[in-house]
Amino acid sequence: MASSTEETIKDSTGDGAQNPETKEDEKKDDSMFECNICLDTARDAVVSMCGHLFCWPCLHQWLETRPNRQVCPVCKAAISKEKVVPLYGRGSTKQEDPREKVPPRPAGQRTEPEPGTNFSGFGFGDNSFHMSFGIGAFPFGFFTSTFNIGEPRPHAAPHGTQQHMEEQFLSKIFLWLAILFLTWLLMA
Amino acid sequence: MANIAAQRIKREFKEVIKSEEVAKCAIKVELLNDSYTELKGEIAGPPDTPYEGGNFVLEIRVPETYPFNPPKVRFITKIWHPNISSVTGAICLDILKDQWAAAMTLRTVLLSLQALLSAAEPDDPQDAVVARQYKENLEMFKLTAKHWTNAYAGGPFVNTDCDEKIKRLIDMGIEEHQARVALSSYNWDLERATEQLFS
Repeated sequence: MASSTEETIKDSTGDGAQNPETKEDEKKDDSMFECNICLDTARDAVVSMCGHLFCWPCLHQWLETRPNRQVCPVCKAAISKEKVVPLYGRGSTKQEDPREKVPPRPAGQRTEPEPGTNFSGFGFGDNSFHMSFGIGAFPFGFFTSTFNIGEPRPHAAPHGTQQHMEEQFLSKIFLWLAILFLTWLLMA
Repeated sequence: MANIAAQRIKREFKEVIKSEEVAKCAIKVELLNDSYTELKGEIAGPPDTPYEGGNFVLEIRVPETYPFNPPKVRFITKIWHPNISSVTGAICLDILKDQWAAAMTLRTVLLSLQALLSAAEPDDPQDAVVARQYKENLEMFKLTAKHWTNAYAGGPFVNTDCDEKIKRLIDMGIEEHQARVALSSYNWDLERATEQLFS
């Protein structure tokens, strides 16, 4: 049982004896994933919009070499740093960081799927964005503040006291402020 | 950096050796040192051109910044071509200058040079004298290019008329190559060539 498992592992890692055909096939597969600049297996792989594969450090250096003429090294299509797609294979998180000087390769772009039924306002993120304008709860505010319905308030301070005087003074100031504000509104 | 350049030349070297063009003897690359910075290239003159049958040797210098910058290539074999200097062998080809792309290889460069031999660009010349002859007297250009291919690249075409004129100038004490250049520049007019040489 144990020995057979070992053999399987050996075979899958390619260390075991293989017939030449399989090896050639593997070579072909490898060259499919070679960087077009260093001709080595692409590391921190990115793909241009025209479909050409590069190591990110290689492509970055190419773009740096000719900042005024950013073209694909293979087909000379126009390319830019923003428009390359990184390839994340399995276990890509274990990959070592790109060289120090090289900025991290651009992140993949995820577009959220369109929500089915909801009208998503202005389309900001997950939750729809609502905006409303108006004079806050006009009729109710008017009623409550004018008729003081169901709102127990402290009784007014008795006449003659210091507190009474202050309250009178404040209410006068607010009255004048309100009148000034209204006239300004009318003038404007 | 030099590491990337050397790594890549190593890989390309293998690629060229395995390529079918080498099998057909159309192109060839040789290493001149261990650091992969200097190479010798060879291209066969393409068929149906004045260069047919000739074998042209190239000097290839690989810069430290390769493959982000093109290799420096020039003809060592003397050649009569509008885009190649008949004096220095310098080449006027866009992919060796601003049109270089990092995915190009020694193989594609050599094949491009071979294509340049089949399709000259007289409107973007490297050698003005050759380009003028190409535009004004195409037959004379072909004859001259064939003669140069025979004289320097081992081409099969022998033009006894040309050889005789050169011999006459050699007899006057002129060096062979100098005589050939003078005659080629003056459409094989012996009198004018002599005049120019002794003026």
